[in-house]
Parts: sequence; structure tokens; C-alpha cells
Amino acid sequence: MSMSERKTIDLDQGWDFMQKGILKLKNILEGLPEPQFSSEDYMMLYTTIYNMCTQKPPHDYSQQLYDKYRESFEEYIVSTVLPSLREKHDEFMLRELVKRWANHKIMVRWLSRFFHYLDRYFIARRSLPPLNEVGLTCFRDLVYKELNGKVRDAVISLIDQEREGEQIDRALLKNVLDIFVEIGMGQMDHYENDFEAAMLKDTSAYYSRKASNWILEDSCPDYMLKAEECLKREKDRVAHYLHSSSEPKLLEKVQHELLSVYANQLLEKEHSGCHALLRDDKVEDLSRMFRLFSKIPRGLDPVSSIFKQHVTAEGMALVKLAEDAVSTKKAEKKDIVGLQEQVFVRKVIELHDKYLAYVNDCFQNHTLFHKALKEAFEIFCNKGVAGSSSAELLATFCDNILKKGGSEKLSDEAIEETLEKVVKLLAYISDKDLFAEFYRKKLARRLLFDKSANDDHERSILTKLKQQCGGQFTSKMEGMVTDLTLAKENQTSFEEYLTNNPNADPGIDLTVTVLTTGFWPSYKSFDLNLPAEMVRCVEVFKEFYQTKTKHRKLTWIYSLGTCNISGKFDPKTVELIVTTYQASALLLFNSSDRLSYSEIMTQLNLSDDDVIRLLHSLSCAKYKILNKEPNTKTISSTDYFEFNSKFTDKMRRIKIPLPPVDEKKKVIEDVDKDRRYAIDASIVRIMKSRKVLSYQQLVMECVEQLGRMFKPDVKAIKKRIEDLISRDYLERDKDNANLFRYLA
Amino acid sequence: MHKLGRGHRDKLQQFITITGASEKIALQALKASDWHLEGAFDFFYNQPQLKTFTDSRHLEELYNRYKDAYVDMILADGITVLCNDIQVDPQDIVMLVLSWHMKAGTMCEFSKKEFIEGLQSLGIDSLDKFREKIPYMRSELKDEQKFREIYNFAFGWAKEKGQKSLALDTAIGMWQLLFAEKQWPLVDHWCQFLQARHNKAISRDTWSQLLEFAKTVGSNLSDYDAEGAWPYLIDEFVEYLNENGIIQNGLINDSSLKW
Repeated sequence: MSMSERKTIDLDQGWDFMQKGILKLKNILEGLPEPQFSSEDYMMLYTTIYNMCTQKPPHDYSQQLYDKYRESFEEYIVSTVLPSLREKHDEFMLRELVKRWANHKIMVRWLSRFFHYLDRYFIARRSLPPLNEVGLTCFRDLVYKELNGKVRDAVISLIDQEREGEQIDRALLKNVLDIFVEIGMGQMDHYENDFEAAMLKDTSAYYSRKASNWILEDSCPDYMLKAEECLKREKDRVAHYLHSSSEPKLLEKVQHELLSVYANQLLEKEHSGCHALLRDDKVEDLSRMFRLFSKIPRGLDPVSSIFKQHVTAEGMALVKLAEDAVSTKKAEKKDIVGLQEQVFVRKVIELHDKYLAYVNDCFQNHTLFHKALKEAFEIFCNKGVAGSSSAELLATFCDNILKKGGSEKLSDEAIEETLEKVVKLLAYISDKDLFAEFYRKKLARRLLFDKSANDDHERSILTKLKQQCGGQFTSKMEGMVTDLTLAKENQTSFEEYLTNNPNADPGIDLTVTVLTTGFWPSYKSFDLNLPAEMVRCVEVFKEFYQTKTKHRKLTWIYSLGTCNISGKFDPKTVELIVTTYQASALLLFNSSDRLSYSEIMTQLNLSDDDVIRLLHSLSCAKYKILNKEPNTKTISSTDYFEFNSKFTDKMRRIKIPLPPVDEKKKVIEDVDKDRRYAIDASIVRIMKSRKVLSYQQLVMECVEQLGRMFKPDVKAIKKRIEDLISRDYLERDKDNANLFRYLA
Repeated sequence: MHKLGRGHRDKLQQFITITGASEKIALQALKASDWHLEGAFDFFYNQPQLKTFTDSRHLEELYNRYKDAYVDMILADGITVLCNDIQVDPQDIVMLVLSWHMKAGTMCEFSKKEFIEGLQSLGIDSLDKFREKIPYMRSELKDEQKFREIYNFAFGWAKEKGQKSLALDTAIGMWQLLFAEKQWPLVDHWCQFLQARHNKAISRDTWSQLLEFAKTVGSNLSDYDAEGAWPYLIDEFVEYLNENGIIQNGLINDSSLKW
């Protein structure tokens, strides 16, 4: 038989045949007893379509078959699928829908294979929607559009049931939601618009109701536990059956309703809020708080604000505690920084350690909390205690650690660690220049009177200060330490010089420390009339020094000197350790039995203040080397003094201290003066480069330039500006009083 | 004689009284300003001064009449005689205006150059002309720009030679003299404040800025800008006024204030 003899199939006849095949498929889908398609069945169905499409016109039925394909689905949906869905509700409807969708996809797949020839030629040539798409579109337009609202509501209802702790069929929900995604055929619009939007709205409503109850019933930690648990569960929900794209939106809703809406109420709960957690050191709860609030916009702002308030309050409490402790110590001398203040510094360090750990751990090093900590410490670290500024307290604290016999007994490691922490605290202090001056003063005392416990520690803290505050801050201090090293070498040279020059004989043991002016605090250098024994010493050293440096001038600062004297008393000889001033006074009595106040003053060439202080230490204090007439507690200009040959002490060697001078006022005055110079220099520097500048701009730049060392008072700047106007460095613009001009 | 309406004649007379100008000049100024007095004053003061011829010999005679017997200067005694001759109290503010014209370097002293050149610039070479000129000089204080110049001139004129600042007592005296012309309502409070709180010399900058303060801020301190470029002392003064209840809500609350 030849091909030309193939029998022509008309439409009705061919479609009847196809109908039988489709009916068979439907029966299979409906679960009716029906044998599977054999390969022969399949081939016959496919071939029929092929033949009907390739017959000569007018018997080529491609278009008709294409339409019939769609109608097959529509008929099936209307007659079978929709009735079965409409009769069911809620979860049963969902199950039916999932089944119907699965079946529909099978049907699409089989029919697409039967009608495959259309896809390859007819559809391709005409640019029509492919068979697969036509099939899915039918389901979308007939089933999905009618039912998606009910389906959505049913799904959301199940979600809410699960939120209430009930067991639900998660796989079912996943399958249902997959329909929303697949209906979109690559786009998410159906999922987002027809399900997700409503789900999010329901989620908001659900958690809003929950939160409004929990906020009333629960403590802050309990509430946060619930919030965290809810967020975790919503994440689970996404993992199990929601589309992953929903996660950020979903969590945002939950976070908003549970946290953003009630942020303030939650944080400020009287007995369990942020303040209470900080007060009670509830580290775990605070960590949770950070994790939760870091997820909402600006959520950390109130937490860090409360943290700052809390730390500030703790710090201020320390200040008050120290103030109270000091005021109860009636015997304590007001001008000496006492033990209570040292305890204060120690407690501030501990406070800083504690809350720095909070920032690093609970608050995960977040910048907001570093800033809050910094601002809090800046508030109370600049308060001072009992008339002493924090700058002074820190300097004294360092001195206590670094000097011999200080009240602290720390290991080397502990010293390094503590100094490190002190330097960290210095960052919070506005008046760094004041700290520098007090520190220098005390460093000088440690170095000059051999009170420094450890050279390495001295250099170590300077290194830390340099890193923190810059080289200019520590340059003088480093110079001081270097001077001491050089002084030791110099002393060695001096001793060699004495050995090599028998004529150069000071007569007594002599040690001289050469200091560089400018590195060291300024000292009075009175023209004390030295005893002859000491004059000799000075001359010998000068000769030595000339051999090394011809053009340097030595200025002698006797107020810093110490002497060892053998005091020959009737009961026994006692070695006296005294200052140079005290020694000079005592030596007067080698040649005079009795001297008046004015005679001593004249012979020593000292001021009243110095003489009074000096004589008081020798006649009215613990060791009465001199007898005073009249025998009173205070020195007056009409007193007489004589050597107390009957003096004795159980010790063979005693140190006779001079009462300390109040240096605090002088340091503060020096710093104030330096600040005026610094402000002047800053203003001149700014104006020199700008030539013309407004007042506001000038003040702003000045504060900015000087802020690293101290916080200039705007009034102080204004005064300096006026002074510079008077001194013809600046003038006001003729037409605008707010404008300043630099005068070359 | 021009036939002038009564209104115009009154204005002419008023202008002559205030400025001391001649009738001819007064008439010229009033016509130029369409017979508005304020405009006429502006016209008059803004005109470059006509350099009237002055007789050098007569100026020499005047100078020699008042100069000191031993120093080639006119000193306090000479100035006293001068004041008698021109019938002016030595404390009168018009003497400050005269000193300003003469560019006098120091109070109670006129060098020969200052005296002669000053009188030349005023067109004076006789005592009669001098007396005629007094009202003119007095009227210059009413011109705002000239007042400012005279005010700022006063600082250098009144301060001690070689000093940078003006002694407080002198400054207070000068302020009372000058602000009597300007009616600044806070002048007495300012002087009391200085004596109570400051008690030190006054810098040139503070001196000149006080005039700006008086003019700009006036009696309504609600717009005072403490963060502005006003001198420190003025900041303190405003604080003092507020502390003592003299200023409340930016307005003067002083029943003893004389208006």
C-alpha cells in the first residue's frame, strides 16, 4: 500500500478518537478502574493528531485541534474539578486543591505529549502560547481565580493555629503555597499579591494582639524571650512552607509589632526594663535585648541611651561616695589627695572594665554603645572629687603605683595592666593638659628623690601616653627620664674627675643632678646663702662642668637638695636626713649658740614663708632639733632659737620632713597661663592663614584645634580675642563687627 | 529780601538755630531738599566744607593768646581762658567736638599745629567767628556718623599717654557726657555695673563696641546674641541686667528709669 492512499480523517471522526483517549486519562485521574495507557494507545493518539494536522487543506485541522486542546481542560475543570472543590472547606478544600493541582499537571503533561506536534510546528509558526502554558492558564483562570481568596484565608487560619501551638500539616501548606508560586510561572506576583500581602497583614494583627497582652503581663526579660521565640518560629515557618522571599518581610512585621511598637514601654518597665537589667547585671537578657533591638530601625538608640544614663549614674554614685567618704575624714588635710580619692580612681577603673566588657560582649562592639560609654565616662570623669580634678586624681593614682612604698602592692604584670587602664581613662578627661602638668610634677618628685620603683614602668607608661595623646604630650616627660639617665652618667664622670684632680676636693660627698630647663616643672631658685662647706662643693662642680660644656649656665635649685648630717647630741650622735635649706639653718649653730628669727632670715637670705616653714620643721614638729623661745606651736618673727643638745631618738638615723607646700594652686595657675598662650597661638595661627574670618568660625576652629588637650571655654577665647585686638594682632572689620582681620 | 511763606520762614529759622549756618547756606540747603528739614540737614552735613579763607596772622594771635608761657602748646590754663572767651564751660561736650576738629592727641592739650589747622578747617580766625561756630559744632553731635567718629575719637583723646586702655573713672565720665546726647537708657546701669563688677580699665574694642551695642540692641535685649562677637564685658553686662531683674523677657523693668 502506498502513502498516497492514506485515508483522510475528518474532524469529527478524529476528535471522537481523541475523546476516548482523553476520557481514559480522566478516569485514571479520578481513580476509576482504568488500565494504563499502552505504548500502542499513546502512539495511536499522537499519530491521529499528526495526521489531522498534516492533511491537505481543507482537512488540515491544526487550529481546531489547538482550540479543542484548551476546551478539554475547561470542560474537565468545570464538570469535575470545580464541583469537587466547591463542596469542601478549610483544610479539606486545601487537600482537594493540592490533589487537583497535581492531577492537572499530570493531565497537562499527557495531553501535551499527545498534541506534541502542535507545539513543534503550528504553535511555533504562529507564535501562540505553548500547550503547557495553555493548560496551566486554564487552571489559573478557572480554579485559582475563583478559589484563591478562600485558599488564602484557610492557609492563614492554619498558620495562626500553628502559632497557637497546634499541630498542623506543614507539608500540605507547602504544597498549597507552591501552587501560588507555580501559578505565577516564573513570576512572584501571584504569591505576593494573592497570599503574602494578606499573610503579612494577618501576622501584624496577630502579633499586635499578642503584644498588647504580653506587654501588660510579662516582665521585660520574659517578653523578650517570647519575642525571640516568635521570631525563631517565624523563621522556621519560612524554612518549612513559606517561600524564602517572605522571610525579611515577615520578620520585619513581627519585629515591628513586638518591638518597635512597644519599644519604650518595654525598655522602661519599672522593675524589669533596661535600667533594671543593667542594675542587676542581667547579662544574658541584655544580650538578647541587643540582638532583638538591633533588628529594628533605630532600635538601639533608646537602649544605648539608657545604657549611657545607667553608666553615668553609676559613675556619679562613685563620685558622691568618694565625696562623702572624704568629708567624714575630719583629720584629713584638705590639700592632700587622700586614700579615698585613690579608691575612687580604682573603682572608676573597675567600672570601666565592667562596662567595656558589656560593650564588647552583650552589645557586640557596636559603635553606639562605645559612644554611649565614652559620653557617660566623659560626664563623671570630669567632675572631680573634694576639690581635686580628675586630672589630678589620675596623676596621683599613677604616682602611687609607680613610687616606692606606695599603698598599692601590685605585681609587675598588674602594674602594667593598671597603667594601661588609667591611660584609657585619660581619653575621657577634658583637661589632659592639667593631667600632664600634675603628672610631670609627681614624676619629677619620683625621679629627683629616688622614689621611682621601676624605670621600665616609668618608660612604659610614657609609651602608652604617647600612643594615646601624641608625642608632644609626652616629650617633656621623656626628656625628664632621659635627663636622669644622663645625670647618672654625668655623676660617674664627676667622680672620675675628682679622682684625677686631687686639687678638686669638695670636702664632703657630693652628688649633682643636672636637669634641662623646659623639661622640668619650674622651681624657685632663691639665692640661698650656702654654708662655706657647700659653697666649696658648688665651685668644684662648676669647674668640672666647665670642662665638659663651656657655654651652658648652671642654675642651682637648692630647694630640691637633700643632705645627710651627723648631729652630735649629748645622749648620742644621730644621723639627720634633711633638705639643703634645713641643713643650712642647722649649720649656723655650729658657730652660734643662739640666733634670732631675723638673724637666721638674714644669714640664709630667704623669704618669711620659707624661714617659717623651715624653722617650724626643726623646732615645733616631731623632731625638736632646735629649742624655741618662747616655747609655742607657731613661729613668729620675735622668736629665738638654740641648738637642742639634749635631743635624742631611739633610731640612729632619722629623716626630718618639711611640711609639704600646696602645689595644686600653682599647677592650676600654670596650666591656666599655658592655656592662654595656647589659645593666643591658636587664634594667631588661624587668622594668619585665613586673614579674614567671622567670629563664629574663629571660635569653632579654635575649639577644634585645642580640643585634644583641653576644652576651651568660649568666654576664655573671647577674652583672648579682645587681648589680641588690644595688642594689634587682630582688628574688627570696619563695617561688620562680627568679622576679624589679621594684622601683619 | 525774598518773600517767604510763614512755614518756610519758620523752617529757615529752625535750621539756622540748629546748625548755626548762615542764612544763605541754610536757604540753599532747604531749597535743595524741597524744604524738608531732615533732608536739609543731610544735604548740609554731606556737603564738602567750603574752605573759608582764614587770616593766618589772626590765627597766630589767637594761638599766642592761649599758649603756655614755657611750652609751645596750649595747656589746661590756656584752654580755661579760651573757654571763658568763647563763653563755653570747659566740661561742655562741645569742647570734645572742637578737639575732634583739631585732631587733638590728648585731653587738655593743643599743639600749635592742632590748634591752627583745626581752626582753619572750621573757618575760624577770630573770637567772634569762634562764638558763631559753637552752635554748628554742637549740632554735629546729632549726625549719627559724626557722633560715631567723635565717640571713637574720644577714647584716644581721653586716655593717658602711653596707655592702651582708658581708665575706668575717665571712661565713665565720658560715657555720661556722650550718652547725654544720645539718650541710651542703660547708661547708668552700665556705669554701675562697671564699678561693681569690672573695676578695671576699658579697652578700645569694648569702648567702640558699646556704641554699636547701644545703637543696635537698644532697650530691647530679647534679641541679644550671647554667642555673638560682642565683647566679653558686654556679655557680662547683659547677664548682670538679667540677674538683677532690670531686664525681664528682654524688656526694661526699671521704674526708676528717667525718660
